[in-house]
Amino acid sequence: MSEKELLKGNIAIAKAALNCGCTCYFGYPITPQTEIGEYLSIEMQKNKLAYVCAESEIAAINMALGAASTGAKVMTSSSSCAVSLMQETISYACSDELPIVIVNVMRAGPGQGYIFPSQGDYNQATTGGGNGDYHTIVLSPTNVQECIDLTYRAFYLAQKYRNPVILLADGLLGQMAEPAELIDNPYPQIDNSNWRLDGAKSRPSREIHSLEVNQNKLNQHIINMYKKYEAIEKDECDFEEYLCEDAEIIFTAFGSLARHVKSVCNYYRSKGVKAGLFRPKTLYPFPYRKLNDLSKKVKIFIDVEMNMGQMLKDIRLSILSNAKISFIGKPVGNWLKEEEIINAADNIIKEHYASI
Amino acid sequence: MIRNFIISGSGGQGILSIGTILANIFMLNNKYVNFCPCYGAEMRGGAVNCEINASDSELLTLQNSEVDVVVALNQTSFDKFISKVKKNGTIIVNSSLAKINKTRDDIKYIFAPMTQEAVKLGNIKIANSIALGIISKITDNFSIEKVKKAYEKILKNKTELIEKNIEAYLTGYNFLQER
Repeated sequence: MSEKELLKGNIAIAKAALNCGCTCYFGYPITPQTEIGEYLSIEMQKNKLAYVCAESEIAAINMALGAASTGAKVMTSSSSCAVSLMQETISYACSDELPIVIVNVMRAGPGQGYIFPSQGDYNQATTGGGNGDYHTIVLSPTNVQECIDLTYRAFYLAQKYRNPVILLADGLLGQMAEPAELIDNPYPQIDNSNWRLDGAKSRPSREIHSLEVNQNKLNQHIINMYKKYEAIEKDECDFEEYLCEDAEIIFTAFGSLARHVKSVCNYYRSKGVKAGLFRPKTLYPFPYRKLNDLSKKVKIFIDVEMNMGQMLKDIRLSILSNAKISFIGKPVGNWLKEEEIINAADNIIKEHYASI
Repeated sequence: MIRNFIISGSGGQGILSIGTILANIFMLNNKYVNFCPCYGAEMRGGAVNCEINASDSELLTLQNSEVDVVVALNQTSFDKFISKVKKNGTIIVNSSLAKINKTRDDIKYIFAPMTQEAVKLGNIKIANSIALGIISKITDNFSIEKVKKAYEKILKNKTELIEKNIEAYLTGYNFLQER
């Protein structure tokens, strides 16, 4: 166990990646995540690991795909508009069943947008922009410590399920420094000797490709992928519940914005309103079942996001009870402040909840 | 206890350095703390500021509309951030580079000629540590051991600068008493 260190989210992600055995990094600089590549460019060269500053994000993700097929632990990192460029290869990597960790430190979109923080890539990450039937696992950290913890988990889940994993952080978290502890990687190593392409000297040759001209085989391949996704949905959902046990109003939020919402819950509790926070840590698999279980005793759900309501769609899909579902959001820029959330929430609550 | 700070100035004045050191001091005193930098594309001369929040309990607020203490190391940041000081909060101004001018009467002012004092100490670049000394004096009276440890962490590759910076820090720390 090492002692706490004041770490930027970006540096924390880079350190955790190295600590759990990332051997190849490919990337192209873009604000607000450039420190990840900067840090790794120094440390990976020192340790004789593969660091490539690629000529574009398209090149970077394709290098990642190639390296992953050899069984290496691979990471790339980028931000919003540049992750858009990677979508084709992410679809390939899902079909190829290759473990790649993709870090997206979100900035403002759509299109070029700008470097303000935002949570506008929920849809891009969870439903993807690539073609065909696939899912990427999506993890959402709320503080710098979780940047470390979830980077470890991203590598583990990528290897365990042979699937790309997206670590969806945001510009504020990437740039912000907080005390965090670089704990040891708690996950076991996964043996990949049965599929990696490492030279067929003493075994029959293997192939990894997404092209399949036989439709029965392609059908079967996708059905097998979906069996894997079923297992992921069953076993890997993760979330934080804060004061949800007796809550009549539940706020939902993800990422670093959830901390402001937690503070809003504290405010309502101090006013005698039973408010709680539900924060998914895995955006795919989304904890639908848990949220529906909670909805049985909840009167109002208030979803708060720094986008125009992307997770809202999953909240609506989760809740089968008659609970009211409302939304507070803003597309980009400074995070919604507690007082802004409270002002908006007061109106929603007054409408549906006589006691305030 | 929750305390929050904005430290502001221009690129090259060491705004982010003392912000990081202050955040480390809080960390070494076992507080929850976060540090958010904000800067333009320029390395030198552009506007720079950072926000530091410290608390005894888990820190939930990441961006504040108002803070307890604003530190302004030049005129532009004095003008820009005076509105961010909470009522009864404090603004610490580098009067070598900003005019002494009290436009609000609901806050406390500390004007200190930091750049001049730094020049007197032999290095114009340590004006920022003088500011940090003043912050320390009016907020938590940190023990000098923890302060030294924080400087050692941040300046671990430039150890020759530590002593001079501590001297500047103490100049700032004692500035209010001497007046």
